[in-house]
Amino acid sequence: MRKLVVLIFLVGVTGYSQNKQVLYDFASLPQTLLLNPGAEVDYKFHIGLPLLSQLSVQAGFTGFSVYDIFADDGIDINDKIRNAVNNYGTTEFMAFNQQLEVLSGGFRLKNDSYLSFGYYQELDFLAKIPRDIVDLFYDGNTDIDRRYYINKLASRAELFGVLHIGLSKKINKKFQLGARFKIYSSVFNANTKLNTGSFYTQDGNNNTYTQHLENVNFLMQTSGVFFDNYDDVDSDYVKSKFLFGGDLGLGLDLGFTYHPKKQWIATGSVLDLGFIKYTKNIESYRIKGNYEVEGFQLLFDPNNPQNYWNDLKEEFDKSIVLDTLYKSYITLRPVKLNGSISYSFGQQYDDCRFLINPKIYLNKVGFQLYSNISAVHSYIAATLFYERRLGKHLQTKVTYTADPYSFSNIGMGLSTQLGIFNAYFVVDNLLSLRNLYNAKSTSFQLGVNFIIKHNN
Amino acid sequence: MNSVFMSPSKIVLSLIIIICFQSCTKNVDFDQIDDASIHITYVSTLVYLNLTAPKFLDTFNQEIAVTTDAVEATITQDSKPYLEKVEFTVVTNNLFPRNFELSIIFYDALGNSIYTLQPTIVVPPNSSELTTIIEIPQVDIPVIYETKSFGFYIYLAPSSDGSTISMNDTATLELKSSVKLFFNYQKI
Repeated sequence: MRKLVVLIFLVGVTGYSQNKQVLYDFASLPQTLLLNPGAEVDYKFHIGLPLLSQLSVQAGFTGFSVYDIFADDGIDINDKIRNAVNNYGTTEFMAFNQQLEVLSGGFRLKNDSYLSFGYYQELDFLAKIPRDIVDLFYDGNTDIDRRYYINKLASRAELFGVLHIGLSKKINKKFQLGARFKIYSSVFNANTKLNTGSFYTQDGNNNTYTQHLENVNFLMQTSGVFFDNYDDVDSDYVKSKFLFGGDLGLGLDLGFTYHPKKQWIATGSVLDLGFIKYTKNIESYRIKGNYEVEGFQLLFDPNNPQNYWNDLKEEFDKSIVLDTLYKSYITLRPVKLNGSISYSFGQQYDDCRFLINPKIYLNKVGFQLYSNISAVHSYIAATLFYERRLGKHLQTKVTYTADPYSFSNIGMGLSTQLGIFNAYFVVDNLLSLRNLYNAKSTSFQLGVNFIIKHNN
Repeated sequence: MNSVFMSPSKIVLSLIIIICFQSCTKNVDFDQIDDASIHITYVSTLVYLNLTAPKFLDTFNQEIAVTTDAVEATITQDSKPYLEKVEFTVVTNNLFPRNFELSIIFYDALGNSIYTLQPTIVVPPNSSELTTIIEIPQVDIPVIYETKSFGFYIYLAPSSDGSTISMNDTATLELKSSVKLFFNYQKI
């Protein structure tokens, strides 16, 4: 159990949800097409190294860090836990997102549009935990009249595969548009959101206290989680679910690149406008109702003995109804919005002061915005970046990001191109590298591609 | 003349080197989890009663010395390792000019008496709100998990002046109660 707790904490420090601010619009990598299908790329052809063209891991916990609890600092761990609970916000969240690109490729069409396609696997988990729940489980319910709400309790967990095909098309010298069509195939899904209800204890009339469950409406939907026979859930089952034997959905990404002036670039994208419909292995639970209890009123009536416990249980079951549902359901994918504006400058000259390539600038500075919109959790992040070419073969990008979790997130990306071989590595929250245990979030993406440039 | 300022490429390379060679972790001790001890207290409403004169009289209007009732309850074993203390708070209000005593006895599945809550709750005559706190010490906690029903016994002590309760008495014996359960989660 201890290992599990430590694992949860460690998972909690490896990053957070789905903002790939360093990778976005970086070094014309093929993977930027997944973040903006309207990105400009100058390849004739590219193929990612199978299973290694993009590994992306992001997760995090906004509440506290491993170091907050386990620092070897001589302070009693119980004081540190108390301190972490005291500093817990109204709602904190835990997130984990992992993507593995299995296949990635693309080629330029005769009309100069770039067609890209691929398949990736994604595991996504997000849980929003309100302070009321933490207080109820850490302090108990002795705070009379305090209402413990579940209204902000929400969570989703999903494993799925995505087959996608996209086109990036130059409309004119200033404008590039792109779109990507996606087919989702879900292995499993569990989600709960838009819950309501509160629990509280009040001074009673007939008894010392009256306890209430008020306006409870909790729904947890699951697909591919509960089975009659778990022996059937083997690797063949998972493979078939990934390869369109699962619950299916459709999605669309849209994006653009615009050059308002020579050295200025504006980009934008909206990703995962889509849904998954769940029809297989559905088992959902709804708990609904109101309940109030003052306790057992003892009647001391020997002629009419009461079964107090059964009466209470029956009354509870009548008031708070638990339904098991087997109805199919639809979830909308969390929508991600990206936008950026940048300015390029500094051209490269040879020893005779001749311009080497009029299209290439050595430096780019800019501003990016990212927003994640979903029924479970939405947030916005802002990034300042500086991108720099170092010689012919290396490109770097440094980012500063402010979001609800941190105002000190520095990220860095490196991309190298040697012939047709391309490798990249991006990581954020570099300041946390001084002490990984103290990080509430960080993330990385890495991959290898083979790219043949358009002018080759 | 050489510039005193570094070129952007040197700045970026220096940054990479600094990041790669700086310390990655500070000392942590995961064994501290063995010392973690989370104390949680839950309060729950319990039984209440509001008894009038007929409850203490038989069909011949004679006083009944002992009035009883019982509550069956299923107590799950899940919390057994963590329950540290149980504290009952009983509030009585007795408008009868008579002395009452309340005993609570725990019974197992076979109906055997296995525990009596101590001390017995003494309710003096004509007593307004009176609070009694009864604790089940840690050593006696396991007995709770063997309990299948609770018996409530009200003893009506004889009056010193020979007076008796009559059917027309309007007095009441009220009792309210709650329980606090003290948990200590030492091993998460």
